[in-house]
Amino acid sequence: MRVIRALLVVVLILTFATAGGAQAKLKVGFIYVGPIGDYGWTHAHDQARKIAEKQLPIETLYVESVPEPQVEPFIDKLIQQGARVVLTTSFGFMDGTLAMAKRYPNIIFGHASGFKRNANMFTYMADFYQVYYLNGLMAGALTKSGKVAYVGAFPIPEVKRHLGAFALGVRAVNPRATVHVRWLFSWFDPAKAKEATEALIAEGADVFAFTEDSPTVVQVASKRNLPSFGHYSPMQRFAPQHVVSGQLVHWERIYIDFLGKVLAGKYNAQNLQNVDYWWLLGEKAVELGGEFGVPINPVWVPRLQAVKVQTREFGQISVYDLVNRRLSQMSRSPVAFDPFTGPIRDRKGRLVVPAGKTMSVLELNTMEWAAPGIVGPWPKEP
Amino acid sequence: MEEWILNTIVRGIALGTPLLWAALGEVYAERSGVVNLGVEGMMVLGAFAAFALAQATGLPYLGLLLAAGAGALAALLHAFVVITLRANQYVSGLALTMFGLGLSALLGRRWEGLPLLSTLPEISLLTYGGLALAAMLWGVLYHTRWGIIIRSAGEAPAAVDTMGLNVFLVRYLAVVFGGALAGVGGGLLSVAYRPSWTEGMTVGLGWIAIAIAIFASWDPLRAVAGAFLFGALFHLSFRLQTWIAPEPLQMMPFAVTILVLALVTRRGGAAQGMPEALGVPYVRGES
Repeated sequence: MRVIRALLVVVLILTFATAGGAQAKLKVGFIYVGPIGDYGWTHAHDQARKIAEKQLPIETLYVESVPEPQVEPFIDKLIQQGARVVLTTSFGFMDGTLAMAKRYPNIIFGHASGFKRNANMFTYMADFYQVYYLNGLMAGALTKSGKVAYVGAFPIPEVKRHLGAFALGVRAVNPRATVHVRWLFSWFDPAKAKEATEALIAEGADVFAFTEDSPTVVQVASKRNLPSFGHYSPMQRFAPQHVVSGQLVHWERIYIDFLGKVLAGKYNAQNLQNVDYWWLLGEKAVELGGEFGVPINPVWVPRLQAVKVQTREFGQISVYDLVNRRLSQMSRSPVAFDPFTGPIRDRKGRLVVPAGKTMSVLELNTMEWAAPGIVGPWPKEP
Repeated sequence: MEEWILNTIVRGIALGTPLLWAALGEVYAERSGVVNLGVEGMMVLGAFAAFALAQATGLPYLGLLLAAGAGALAALLHAFVVITLRANQYVSGLALTMFGLGLSALLGRRWEGLPLLSTLPEISLLTYGGLALAAMLWGVLYHTRWGIIIRSAGEAPAAVDTMGLNVFLVRYLAVVFGGALAGVGGGLLSVAYRPSWTEGMTVGLGWIAIAIAIFASWDPLRAVAGAFLFGALFHLSFRLQTWIAPEPLQMMPFAVTILVLALVTRRGGAAQGMPEALGVPYVRGES
């Protein structure tokens, strides 16, 4: 009897202790559009979630592969499980997240890559367009055929902006080069990415960049001994001799900053109406490279150093140095260089950015025009 | 022009090979009277099994052997549920697809993103093997006693039973054999077509294999045509984007493959129709 009573006491103490601990920790729920093993977008968000959980006194929950129109019941479930902050990580979750934000005014919501906010819902995005421009500079220097390839996921403003920045980079180094595009209409589809790459190789393209959540393009190009640029996750490991650089993301920079401010009481469910994280190189939310900490694959440095270009700003300069100069200019805050600074004409010759003007975040988010040098279909081209 | 034709044929064979293996498997399963909508699940399990073993041993052929085993095991599950327990074949097949996708994703986390040092070329022994297999399966199906038994199990199982043969065993064997071929098809994706493991990497190719089996009117040789034709058109749907709007072009490979196979089938006459007892569980003494 005494033993049982002693046990009971221990159990009670433990119960209160764990319950108390759980209450002290902020619960953050994540909604993912893809599987966490996609080696792209969702994988990157999940890595960031783990880092944030390590560095902050928070507890995280997540649901993966959530169909975009059905986000609401999943948000409900996370809130029932105790989430006080819910972060939804796909453009298509936007309206569902906003509806739930209005239904749960005391819960904090965050939505990635969208533009609708509420008193308790902020928006955030780690954008790559600067990095794509740098990759474009290198691609322009490396192409021998003058044809650079781009395998795009969907012809939406986000991808068009990245492709545009990439093409502007290519043309800055190689004014006669063209950027050949193929659309997959899918974020993740290795078979489509493979055949699109094969089609571009058949057309004579010899440098590859892409938006798709698998290393397929890198692998296919490498089989033909052709250089490529990784996308989203570290992909140099798939083709150590052929991945030149690429774009990498650090969502944890945004998550830690935001959640830290929630924990500090700076952000709450009443003051998020105008909170929009549009984080770039300057905020270290994105990184240039095919592997973390490796901006340019050393294998390719001599080739990039050998190509010299004439620039107005720096005179004659090697592409390698140019990339580094531009990188440091864009890593400053405020930036000393922006690829989308006028005058820029689109591929039809219309003036889209006047001289002396730089595109605003809103303009970048709704960009539909095709940069000069882009060859291929361009749905909704103005 | 020559480059276009040659390249399209090569791409057609490259993507067609894994599709062919999976489609041949489904042809046999359905010929025996069992629909298996779990091809996607069996393929993805095969893809994972082949990759994991090839990664560990450096032997892609050994990986494919394990893929066949994984596919067969998954198919055995389906066979038990629909032949012995007589559950709805469509529901069980769908469940198998989800099971395969889920299990391979769960087990595959550790292999995600690992490189594969030893791979097979896209057009390999398995391509010629697939062609030879199709010819053999066609011969068996139409010109041997075994073929008559399998077809009868799908057309009139009671007749097979009357002959003193075991309908259940015939169906079990056909379904498990089909699963093994689907496993190999999936394995070819991960060690030859795109040597890598990513969860869900079959991205619907299993469903295309099923469609090929059906629109080839369950004929192994027509399945060859269907698989290679689909592969070639799938490639062309990207090649042609410069000239044709990409949105309608996306549907082209599906629409044209189905249309061509349907036309071929019409010329083949009514004898090529669907197995009478397809999807119907066999119960002794009934019908």
